Amino acid sequence: MLIEALILVCLVGAAVVAAAPDRLAGRLALAVSALPVGGSLYMYAAFDGGGNALLGGDIAYETFFQWLSLGPYAVNYHMGLDGISLPLVVLSTVLTMLAILSAWTPVDTRQSQFYALMLFMEASLIGVFAALDFLLWFVFWEAVLVPMYFLIGVWGGPRRKYAAIKFFVYTNIASLVMFIGFFGLVFGLGESISSTGLPEIAQALRAGQLGALGPVGPEALALASFLAMFVGFAVKVPVVPFHTWLPDAHVEAPTPASVMLAGVLLKMGTYALLRYNFTMLPEQAATLAVPIAVVAVISIIYGALLALAQSDLKRVVAYSSVSSMGYVILGLIAYTEFGIGGATFQMIAHGLISGLLFMTVGVIYNTSHTRMIGDMSGMADRMPVTAGVFVAGAFAYMGLPLMAGFAAELFIFLGAFSSTVLPAAPLFTAVAMFGIVIVAGYLLWAMQRSLFGPFELEPDYEVGRAPLHDVAPIVTLVVLIVLLGSVPEVFWGMISDATVDLVATGGELR
Amino acid sequence: MVLGSVPAEYYLVLSAAVFCTGVFGVLIRRNALMFLMSVELMLNAANINFVAFAFYWGNLTGQVFTLFTMALAAAEVAIGIGIILVLYRNFDDVRVTDATTLRW
Amino acid sequence: MVIVAGIYAYAPAIAVLPFVSFLVALLVGRWLPRKGALSGILATLGSLGLSVAMVGNLVLTGEGYDETMYTFVETAGTFDLTFGLLIDPLSAAMLVIVSFIAVLVHVFSLGYMNDEGEPGLPRYYAGLGLFTASMLAFVLSANLLMAFFFFELVGLCSYLLIGHWFREEGPPSGAKKAFLVTRFGDYFFLVGVVGVLATFKTAGFAGENGFPAVAERVLSPEASAEVAVDTFGFEPATWFAVLGLLVLGGVLGKSAQFPFHTWLPDAMEGPTPVSALIHAATMVAAGVFLVARMYGFYALLPTVLAIVAFTGGFTALFAATMAVVKNEIKQVLAYSTISQYGYMMLALGAGGYVAAFFHLTTHAMFKALLFLGAGSVIIAMHHEEDMWLMGGLKEEMRVTYLTFLAGSLALAGIFPFAGFWSKDEVLFEALAHGLESPLLLGGYLMGLAAVFVTAVYTVRMVLLTFHGDPRSDLAADPEAVRWNVKLPLSALGVLAVVAGFLNPVPIQTVTGVHVEFLHDFLDNAASEELLTSAHHYGDLTKEFAGYSTGTVAGGETATVLVSGGLSLGLAVAGAVFALRLYGGADPARHTEKLGGLRTLLVHNYYQDEYQVWLAEGLTLGVARAADVFDRGVVDGAVDKVSSVSLLSGYGLRRLQTGIVTNYAALISLSVLALLVAFAAMGGWF
Repeated sequence: MLIEALILVCLVGAAVVAAAPDRLAGRLALAVSALPVGGSLYMYAAFDGGGNALLGGDIAYETFFQWLSLGPYAVNYHMGLDGISLPLVVLSTVLTMLAILSAWTPVDTRQSQFYALMLFMEASLIGVFAALDFLLWFVFWEAVLVPMYFLIGVWGGPRRKYAAIKFFVYTNIASLVMFIGFFGLVFGLGESISSTGLPEIAQALRAGQLGALGPVGPEALALASFLAMFVGFAVKVPVVPFHTWLPDAHVEAPTPASVMLAGVLLKMGTYALLRYNFTMLPEQAATLAVPIAVVAVISIIYGALLALAQSDLKRVVAYSSVSSMGYVILGLIAYTEFGIGGATFQMIAHGLISGLLFMTVGVIYNTSHTRMIGDMSGMADRMPVTAGVFVAGAFAYMGLPLMAGFAAELFIFLGAFSSTVLPAAPLFTAVAMFGIVIVAGYLLWAMQRSLFGPFELEPDYEVGRAPLHDVAPIVTLVVLIVLLGSVPEVFWGMISDATVDLVATGGELR
Repeated sequence: MVLGSVPAEYYLVLSAAVFCTGVFGVLIRRNALMFLMSVELMLNAANINFVAFAFYWGNLTGQVFTLFTMALAAAEVAIGIGIILVLYRNFDDVRVTDATTLRW
Repeated sequence: MVIVAGIYAYAPAIAVLPFVSFLVALLVGRWLPRKGALSGILATLGSLGLSVAMVGNLVLTGEGYDETMYTFVETAGTFDLTFGLLIDPLSAAMLVIVSFIAVLVHVFSLGYMNDEGEPGLPRYYAGLGLFTASMLAFVLSANLLMAFFFFELVGLCSYLLIGHWFREEGPPSGAKKAFLVTRFGDYFFLVGVVGVLATFKTAGFAGENGFPAVAERVLSPEASAEVAVDTFGFEPATWFAVLGLLVLGGVLGKSAQFPFHTWLPDAMEGPTPVSALIHAATMVAAGVFLVARMYGFYALLPTVLAIVAFTGGFTALFAATMAVVKNEIKQVLAYSTISQYGYMMLALGAGGYVAAFFHLTTHAMFKALLFLGAGSVIIAMHHEEDMWLMGGLKEEMRVTYLTFLAGSLALAGIFPFAGFWSKDEVLFEALAHGLESPLLLGGYLMGLAAVFVTAVYTVRMVLLTFHGDPRSDLAADPEAVRWNVKLPLSALGVLAVVAGFLNPVPIQTVTGVHVEFLHDFLDNAASEELLTSAHHYGDLTKEFAGYSTGTVAGGETATVLVSGGLSLGLAVAGAVFALRLYGGADPARHTEKLGGLRTLLVHNYYQDEYQVWLAEGLTLGVARAADVFDRGVVDGAVDKVSSVSLLSGYGLRRLQTGIVTNYAALISLSVLALLVAFAAMGGWF
């Protein structure tokens, strides 16, 4: 019941914070958000699961009871964690707490509502990563969109309405496509399943029990469902060419919302890809290996090139997220222990690193009131600690060894290079790896222009050192990134344990 | 009985005529009060039908329905007059074509 | 005969000590009296002491050390992702060099940074500490993966230190360029690391299970099936050559070899002590050291060796020509570094493992000396670096002049200074093995030509800086330097004279007295056991790369003498040539007579231009085009789709007139239409 306790704390906390006066809301929200952090860390420490939750592994912190029935299918309240979802829950709670802290300076209107929405989103995110029944999962999946819509639409920049609606509609249509694809599978399975539980469906599919649906044969159905779900999740990730909502949403969103969006919401897409497409339909994934790898490589290179062309710091980081998430897709399609494990690791690493960079850009924006690279120079002179953290974050993004990004990329490259599912795997990997050079190019260039050189600022603002509650979260993130990069075993053991069963199919596919 | 000598079609024709008068009123009048009256006509056309068929089948259900309709019409008039009063206060007139501020 | 029981247990401290000094300087440096310099000096002294103890232990016991220290992640037999320490003669000797130079650079920094009142000193000393720690950890690495980790950290530190004066325009730009160019090389290196791991499942350097040994077994004629490795569908030899070339990309980047040399001159924007550290012992040396470290692998690959040798020889000559026309003292030194590392690459390519490391050692001494000497001159000249504004400094700066002269003569390769012996050995190896291979011979000839050019620019630099009449007020009244500058200079000055006697092969060949100390050390019993001995590498080059030792003028002794005579003759000729041109009290700007050639050289053969074009013109151009495409086409399509519903909404809302009558009419008409439709379908008509 720990997971439920976490969700409940967030929901009750959200209600309390919503009722609190604005001047208390920030502190109250921080205090509330510290509880799930403690809870998730306790869950990490006491984790006793093993194997993959969908493939018959031991599920930790499991809760199960009958909820309702839908025609012939029972819909159960089924929650639980395995080595893939637990790190993501930890990421969600930690990042929410830091994002709430980073909101103290920039958010100055409707504060109690802002923090309440953040806490509500945290509850939904925990639910997404913990739910083990499709409909239950879908409720959380959609519930995440609501607070994010309001966070962008109410506290956003000048084009916030456009960005919020684009984000909401785009991802919602994608959910619809995914929903149809998934129910194609459910109906195709017919009587071989009795509930919409994900473990049952995954195991039935892997046992080859998919039947025909009307005139559509099992193989065509599986392929069509795979494609529908892939497209649906690809929007969320986002994968080129479904990425264009991302820069708009990021540029308009307030800093804490950007942090959550890049740090956790994008991971929902890759998490779902891993849980649905790559766990349930491995053979279809193998069939489509080359196109998916091409899409991944294009995301990496094209996203990095787009980041290179931007002059708004937030857009730079936003597009580089597209690039980084491409590595996750590459790792997934490799179908090796290191590929899929590395992809999961990259979700965590990128969550921390992109969160760090968005927060740092936000801290600079708080005092300079501009994000345009051309408008500022020599910020390191006035904000030495923030600039130092920016340099650290940029190098983490570039994949500097002993920081989390490199560990993740190394695993992905190792896994992808030796993939047997993907033809010409070394070639794909080598091309994808060129992303690390372009990343270095644009981040170094952006740092040189904005942080170094003689101090100048286009809008004439007084720039001083950032307050402690701005600096504390970014320094914390740097420490976490270095910790995860130097001791990846912190998460690697459980991740690897949960992906081994998945890869076993990869072995059969050879 | 006198009534019995009149065939049911006559009542229906009467009802249709009253209904059409009501529709005609709704379509061409601008005054909200006239509107309300036209609506009443349409309701009463339905009442005529109810009563006629109740008599035709020898069943009281239709007449009971008529009572409901009349109660409903009374309520409708009460609300309708209220709306018309508000309309007059806001637009200094009771012409329905003026009150278009809620369209888009 | 163990000096301290289990001395190798203290080996991690070699890298950890400077790391501690990094933390000290970073966290509490601003409250320390010297802002972190003293902790840095103490830490590097500790590292130096331990390194010397390692060397001593190796000599006395003949036992090396190759242990896994830390498992990066647990893997079930897939890849060996571990960190370990490898202490064999090569790494132990390199540790001594690195920590020795680091100590001197720290001491020198007291004079160059503290005494000059520079701001940001804690950051500076933190950078130096991390730089030293990364390089020492790189040297200690037992496998390619760990080597890559610290190779990259070395790059990070160079970025931080080159960009130390971030408030100016130049240093951040130079730092960016240094990191980006080396990053480009490291991209290939990383592909190579991943490839090596995917192929061999291990990246260990030494021992029977190291990847060079596995590759050797795979390639050996009597290879059996069970040593087969996954070569991704290629012939093993081809695939190994690909891997070797990929790793070489990182080497060329860090060691500033053609065409990745462009970052090094720009890196002169950093503080001069940092330049000394980068050029002599850390960053640039890392590349060459890596080739030496995995020489057991390269020795199997004749094609790669030939490419290494040819690139090295070409870079040696190419960079030397550019140094001739430079006017800033540090620029001359920068190009000389590129050129000298070219020699080391030439030696490695030619099978001269010992020669390359010998030259690395002597070069570390005299190049650190030259940079620190230049730093001393720059202090004296109040940070003026143009040699045409100097002159006549030898009277005022006796210690600096004498030591700088010793370093210059070593660089020029004049007998009996250190550089002569090592460069002579490099050229001898290239000649001896090159008689069979045209690529090697080409490399040798270019290396030989570079000897003359090196002597010319070196002597020109000394003459312009120290001789003649002062050409500016600054030069007439230079600022005095203190002990903390003179001490490192003196220590290095002595070494620049005597370091050559570590391995004076010609003396041994001629007299028969056994004086090949460095060679013996690198052939130590410990290295024999770890399969990293010079002797073993020599066998590999003979067996797999087909190297044979050729002779000229009938015999080995004659070959040694011919080779040595040629290089010494050319060096002396170059020195005399430069002396004639620039020896007067008021030398003329002779290079201007070169005309168009000078323009080409001053512009560095337009190498920077095309690389900047590649980065800014091409890549940024493509990126801008992609951005336009993305906003116009990809996002345009999304907006178009949404505009379909938007526009239809705009059109249909006209129906909502807000006039009740219209709605009533619509309802009536619709009911009528429905009636007619039902009637028609019901067959009433």
